[in-house]
Amino acid sequence: MSVAIKALETTQAAAEAIVQRAETRYEAHRQEILGSTDRIFAWLMIGQWIFAIAVALIFSPYGWQGKVKTVHMHVWVALFLGAAIISLPVALAWRRPGELLTRHAIAAGQMLCSALLVHLSGGRIETHFHVFGSLAFLAFYRDWPVLVTATVVVAAEHLVRGILWPESVYGIPNPEWWRFLEHAFWVVFCISILIPSCRRGLKDMRVMADRGAELEALSENQWRNSSVVDRAAADARGDR
Amino acid sequence: MTADTNVEVRKGYDRVVVPESAGGTRSLTRQQFETLPLRERVSYLIEGSAQFFRDGRPISASEAMRI
Repeated sequence: MSVAIKALETTQAAAEAIVQRAETRYEAHRQEILGSTDRIFAWLMIGQWIFAIAVALIFSPYGWQGKVKTVHMHVWVALFLGAAIISLPVALAWRRPGELLTRHAIAAGQMLCSALLVHLSGGRIETHFHVFGSLAFLAFYRDWPVLVTATVVVAAEHLVRGILWPESVYGIPNPEWWRFLEHAFWVVFCISILIPSCRRGLKDMRVMADRGAELEALSENQWRNSSVVDRAAADARGDR
Repeated sequence: MTADTNVEVRKGYDRVVVPESAGGTRSLTRQQFETLPLRERVSYLIEGSAQFFRDGRPISASEAMRI
């Protein structure tokens, strides 16, 4: 085998190894972001559940059946429906952090938490702000399909609840049929900015990984061009 | 003695010349070079076959890779 061919093969092998390490670094960085965001949402959802129970207890703790004072249905809704909404996303966040299913379950669960809070507040328009805050938090994942899942869930939930129980979502008994589209429009407006931001975040991570690979390649070149004595000294120091 | 704080510190490169597989060379802008596959860029850097330029003047690869 000629020296030139051997040198080419060595270069290709070194390049392959450097590219693989860059890919590993990129994936590790991405998994770290996905896993840590899952954990943030697990705690956030538990916090929201406690908050929903508190809202029910503070604003409508009791109802009356004739002269009998009973615990208001809202308290049970907050307790049991809230637990049902958060149980799967929180379990997945703890048991399967970083997985695709986990973040989509969290996106859907977070939108249902918004729906619960809107219902408990009697359809107050101010409580709808929870949806937009949640979308911003979901953008932490830097994974734009998660935002699409959230949008579909919140639009569907508004449509169904708007037909079956409009006071629960809009606070009025006879809203226009297309009111859910108006709400969905503002959600789409919000994610139309968040999606490019997520893509930009991923691109920046890729650039960082590539920069690391280029610097590693430069180091490899300098090592190859160094003298035998220098190489031995570099190896002894663990520079390479 | 005062330090000249108005000196514009420019880093990196704006043009790079890389060898063609069929012989000869091709000149790329920084943007064009950065859109090449990573494996190809890394190979040029390992071989030391890419020549970097800033403002038309050749600079070393290590100078070019400074952020």
